Amino acid sequence: MNLFVIAILALIFVFLGSAVIGLLRGGKAGSDRMFKALRMRIILSVLLFAFLLLAGFLGWIEPNGFNLLPTQ
Amino acid sequence: MSNEKYYVPHGTYWPIIGSIGISTLFIGFANQMHDVSWGWPVMVLGFAIIAFMMFGWLGTVVAESVGGMYNSQVDKSFRWGMSWFIFSEVMFFAAFFGALLYARVLSVPWLGGADNNMFTPELWEGFKATWPLISTPGEAGQNGVAFSTNFKLVDTWGLPALNTGLLLTSGVTLTYAHHALRAGHRDALMGWMLATIALGVVFLGFQITEYGHAYHDGLKLTSGIYGSTFYLLTGFHGFHVTIGVIMLTVILYRIQKGHFNLENHFAFEGVAWYWHFVDVVWLGLFIFVYWI
Repeated sequence: MNLFVIAILALIFVFLGSAVIGLLRGGKAGSDRMFKALRMRIILSVLLFAFLLLAGFLGWIEPNGFNLLPTQ
Repeated sequence: MSNEKYYVPHGTYWPIIGSIGISTLFIGFANQMHDVSWGWPVMVLGFAIIAFMMFGWLGTVVAESVGGMYNSQVDKSFRWGMSWFIFSEVMFFAAFFGALLYARVLSVPWLGGADNNMFTPELWEGFKATWPLISTPGEAGQNGVAFSTNFKLVDTWGLPALNTGLLLTSGVTLTYAHHALRAGHRDALMGWMLATIALGVVFLGFQITEYGHAYHDGLKLTSGIYGSTFYLLTGFHGFHVTIGVIMLTVILYRIQKGHFNLENHFAFEGVAWYWHFVDVVWLGLFIFVYWI
């Protein structure tokens, strides 16, 4: 399950990279490429976040927790 | 200026003002670290000089751009400049995520005797390789404090999840703003930009609240390798969100001034990418620090 989450995160970075190439090229084609890549990255990010919440809720992934509270 | 091949910048005093600002900042910072009384005000002065330089220099660039002084070659150089800046940002955060990975997966287990490190547990008596490790081994051993056993973990369903939702929503609103810009819908563009900025500001507010909780509960920058990596990662991320909010606000001002059109909006594209990037960095933080 962890590998799946990391793979989707890596895919999100691929789309960010594609957006940079669009930014670098510029013009109509570059601008189109950038917009489409950024749109894909936000769609994937929202889906990944929803998946994480669902996986946590159903117990597929046990969250680390982060707040460290003194026990005594 | 109409020459399409070369653009030679005019003389300017902004670079030397930037140098003076950075020098002042570091002189103040170094002395503040040594508890010198004037260190802190000199540091603030350095920040002020840098802010003045940024405002003046970028203002000059915007005025030149709007004044039609730039040709396609200048556009290309801006795009290359932004791309290298993006590369440096990716490497910057890669180093911090790398530090987190190295500490958590390799060095802490090694100190606990993992792999072929059968003698390392003898370095600090009673050391157990746990994560999060919130005390520095030697220091904790000397003080007789137990290694991260007087703390417990609580779940992630609080501010971190809420903040992730907020930041991802800001990514959605920015994408709608981007679409509105490309479609020529100016009012929608300004509305979505305002929403993006507001979400960023709320995120920062919650992050400050979260720091207050964590600090109050005893998690400090000096709380072992976990405390160091946690505050450096989230702190630098928060700093980047702050910069992003400032840049989005400048872009909103420029939209209001009518600086962009359907074909020419590089500044918007650069800032949009930056915001998407800090959004993804937070998603990475949420996953690696809070979840897996």
